[in-house]
Amino acid sequence: MARVPIVRVGATLIATVQDELCDSDVMLLQEELSATLERTGVHAVLLDLTTVQTVDSFLGRLLNDVAAEMRLLGAQTVIVGIQPAVAITLVELGLNLKGVTTALDVDKGMRLLQHSLRVHDLGRM
Amino acid sequence: MVAKFTNSQGELRGMIEEQRRTIVELQTPVIQVWDSILALPVVGSLDTARAQDMTEALLERIVQTGSEIVLVDITGVPVVDTAVAKHLLDTVHAARLLGAEVLIVGVTSRVAMTLVHLGLDLGGVTTRTTLAKGLQFAFARLGIEVLPRSNGTSSHAPNKLTT
Repeated sequence: MARVPIVRVGATLIATVQDELCDSDVMLLQEELSATLERTGVHAVLLDLTTVQTVDSFLGRLLNDVAAEMRLLGAQTVIVGIQPAVAITLVELGLNLKGVTTALDVDKGMRLLQHSLRVHDLGRM
Repeated sequence: MVAKFTNSQGELRGMIEEQRRTIVELQTPVIQVWDSILALPVVGSLDTARAQDMTEALLERIVQTGSEIVLVDITGVPVVDTAVAKHLLDTVHAARLLGAEVLIVGVTSRVAMTLVHLGLDLGGVTTRTTLAKGLQFAFARLGIEVLPRSNGTSSHAPNKLTT
């Protein structure tokens, strides 16, 4: 059982997956993410998958679901650090994660989020 | 007579094998054209095995160089049918999952016509007619501007760059 730590940095929640996840871990992550998001009211979620080497259709579908759920809760999701092998598997499974923003690493992901949060703030003013 | 025939057949096989190896070596050059910009020229027809090799090589390079934009140049692809289009889209989607934006450049009018005729739209993929136009798009996206030298005289020195 691998619990994924969810850290709040400024207006962003960062979840770094440190271990291979089994189905129940992924579901726990999904629940905790939405609960934390609801509690803290942040507008951005960054999901770091750098250490994930294998992916199945369940995890792939869940990534899509998480992003959709975050959108409903008013937050933007960026998934970073997807490995080449994982990307190829996801495409072969027919999961293109169309609605999900991706970035190469945490740094690029944070910049992307900061940029869109700025735009978001301007929109609210 | 029979011995001679088998011999020449063996020779032919050797030659084919050698040429196949050469093709494999030639087929997947991933070129870094600028900081954060990669180019992938595709020459010749694209089958499943080749498309997979190409995708793998490209993804490795994206991670290695931290590139944000990839220009897939299909000027050298003679025919783009449904299979080739699917391979290209798979490559685009895989690279996108890593966080890179992929442009398909070198789309000729004939290819465009074929794609429309086949009812294929490269949904959501930015396309340009030439590599140069793709590069311009990439520069704009990365906030890079290429300007002629202010004194106006042409020289073979590289253009001044402002970022």
